[in-house]
Amino acid sequence: MNASVAVAPGGIVPLADGPDLAGLRVRRRRRVFDAMAAHRVDVLVMGRPAEVAYATGTRQLWLAGSRPFGPAAIAVAATGRIHLLGTSDDGVPDDVGFGDLFAMSWNPAHVRAAVAALPGVAEARRVATTSGTVGFEAFIRSVAPDAVLVDGAALLDAVRRVKDPDEVGCIAAATTLAADALATVAAHVAPGVSERELLAVYLGRLGELGVPTPPTEGIVCAWSPDESPVLRRVATDRRLAVGDRVVLDVAANVAAYEGGVGTTVVVGPDGIAVSETPPPAARRAASVYDALAAACRTGASGAEVRRAVVAAGGTMPPEGVLTGVGLGVEPPVVAPGVGDAAVLEAGMVVAVSAWVVDADDGGWFERRLLRVGAHEDGSVAPIGPVAAPPAPRPWRKTNR
Amino acid sequence: MATVDGVTIPEVADRARMRRERHARLQAQLVAHDLDAVLLAGSANVAYAVGADAPASDPARSMLARQVALVVRDAAVPHLRTPYPEGAPVELDPDRVGPVAYPEGAPVELDPDRVGPVAYPDLEDGAADLVAWVAERVPPGARVGIDEVTHPMQRAFAATSITLESAQRVTTAARVTKTVDELACIRAAEALTEAAMVDALAALRPGVRQNELTAIFLRRIFELGVENVGVDPIWQPIPRFKADGPRTVHGDLAFPTASTQATLAEGDVIWNDTGLHVGGYASDFGRTWIVSDDPRPTAAQLAQYATWRTIVAECKALAAPGVDTLQLCRLATKINGGTRPWLAHFYLAHGIGTSSAELPLVGTDLGEAFDERQVLGPGMVLVFEPVVWTEGVGGYRAEEIVAVTDDGTVSLSGTFPWAPFPEEVP
Repeated sequence: MNASVAVAPGGIVPLADGPDLAGLRVRRRRRVFDAMAAHRVDVLVMGRPAEVAYATGTRQLWLAGSRPFGPAAIAVAATGRIHLLGTSDDGVPDDVGFGDLFAMSWNPAHVRAAVAALPGVAEARRVATTSGTVGFEAFIRSVAPDAVLVDGAALLDAVRRVKDPDEVGCIAAATTLAADALATVAAHVAPGVSERELLAVYLGRLGELGVPTPPTEGIVCAWSPDESPVLRRVATDRRLAVGDRVVLDVAANVAAYEGGVGTTVVVGPDGIAVSETPPPAARRAASVYDALAAACRTGASGAEVRRAVVAAGGTMPPEGVLTGVGLGVEPPVVAPGVGDAAVLEAGMVVAVSAWVVDADDGGWFERRLLRVGAHEDGSVAPIGPVAAPPAPRPWRKTNR
Repeated sequence: MATVDGVTIPEVADRARMRRERHARLQAQLVAHDLDAVLLAGSANVAYAVGADAPASDPARSMLARQVALVVRDAAVPHLRTPYPEGAPVELDPDRVGPVAYPEGAPVELDPDRVGPVAYPDLEDGAADLVAWVAERVPPGARVGIDEVTHPMQRAFAATSITLESAQRVTTAARVTKTVDELACIRAAEALTEAAMVDALAALRPGVRQNELTAIFLRRIFELGVENVGVDPIWQPIPRFKADGPRTVHGDLAFPTASTQATLAEGDVIWNDTGLHVGGYASDFGRTWIVSDDPRPTAAQLAQYATWRTIVAECKALAAPGVDTLQLCRLATKINGGTRPWLAHFYLAHGIGTSSAELPLVGTDLGEAFDERQVLGPGMVLVFEPVVWTEGVGGYRAEEIVAVTDDGTVSLSGTFPWAPFPEEVP
């Protein structure tokens, strides 16, 4: 898969053979309406930013965190229109007509009136929502009195989980940028540098690349050879020392699609320690990764993936061994307590995490993105410019 | 000294006291609304209810792999499900070494009754697990307030004796009035924002890209110790005529628009708007800047700036316990010559806390009757963000955060310069 973006001074430059975003928008929109037809859904109410991005391709102002559910985009089968909550057409593709915008409001009565006035809503018999609040069913009844409320999250998840080549292209481009950010962070690893300072380098680099809205703040998590390795996401002011291992796990967004890569480095006297032979924990992590990649075949269950990790000597990381990736993270998830019944489908993109805690050699972490069912035999292909197996050769310090 | 309910706003927040007092407020609201518990999954609500450290994440990640708080009536502390157990407050995990990390390499021995693993309420098995966890911690037949109900949660709760109600009355009533420690957190977040913004302003020149300013700002806030960034920073060029900006549904100005790799040019007037979090509390910074090697406001721009400063100064002077927010709207409009000095889709002022915009909301389309009923009290916060606009000139916009005290207001914003406008109101 082509990287489809190049890094230039001042930001990223899309390449001519990059993803066809306009065509992608048309196809995604059609998939949403096809799924609505298949489930006899008249109106689909979407609330989350990734859902808005999927259905409309709108470039939204990035805000961190989770917020209350409310109508942000409303697809109406009878008219084929997707109505978008928004004040202006900035970042709104032409597929959404200016007349399809409905004004944001602080006043629930105004929101209700605006939604009720959308052509096709009042007559709807089946309204699907992607999530809800206690009052949301009453809200739907007030705008569509004859409608029954159904699960739109399952409908949209089914549409979203299989990626077409242009979606994979966006994910690959994002992974290229994440790898650039990782290399930049790795080049700053040295004794005396703090975890927090490395996060600053990561987020600053994403900004320089022109993609400053991070899927996560990333992981910069260090421990010394004397400590029990623990994967943390909350960075500290801890300063690195020679011999420390540092997990670096970063991500980036391109056209709202997420890419990412994670690895572990060892701190040397003047940068990353370079050794010809990878540490035992790194070799075990490589084995766990190989087992994961082999297990993530088309049709595999989450339980099979989990068993493969255990059999290879892996440890379940707090955030799981497998997460779907697309417009951010998405199902399936194989994590402590969830995911045994999940089934991998051809065309899914998943992030897999190999985490080992070796009794004699401490911890090692690697994370890569895989495309499920990339080959005819149902096996995976790695995504992005980063070598698929966990890098046994450490990053070399470069002059940045 | 600025006091709220007789207590001085401290220089540095006492976060343990802050958590205790917030918990007491939520407990009081549970009693007031006769609920047995609230189950909270929205980031701002979880930050308020628990005070756990968490990195900023894209909404997709925040909503799939969730932090969830459960506040049970009469319980001494809340319960937390989190992907970030290292961020759990120490009272939830008394045996742990260090409130954030494990500097001594101590094993993670979390109190399993208080801090559980990440919750997945979007997943069928995840929702079943979460609801079972809740059911173990509330009495049979409990009435539980909740801020989001996913479809899998709906199905899982249907199999229990728990009755769901909206948590909103509880959370908004608790959150609208801040303790002195919450105010100290907002001031600290704003100070950190202003410190990082010094570097961004220094880099502002013709030819710079929006994303380069963002890079400088993001890197600096993490060096300075921010907990997380709340919004993609905005550096939006503002046209001289509203119609020259993006089309809007109401004909007013399009703002804010997401930043890009766009290059800023000589003479551009930009509105900056950004916020980050410290102690869970948001900052909100805004200024009007002129992109130039030698930025000099015109007489018309200076006049707008003077009007903006006057509006905020007069509103700050008027705001006090017992004053309703319609009075603020009327005063600001009068100073602006009879025209409402704020954008049609926004407000003259908004509150701020663990969310970047929350009650009180002043001058919104909730209407004048709402503003008339909305009476200021000690501990409320107002982020004034009037817009002084003249077609053909453009507009001036900035932001100032004030807290309502026992006898007036105190600014929570720092002393960031007004450059390229004069410090003294012309």
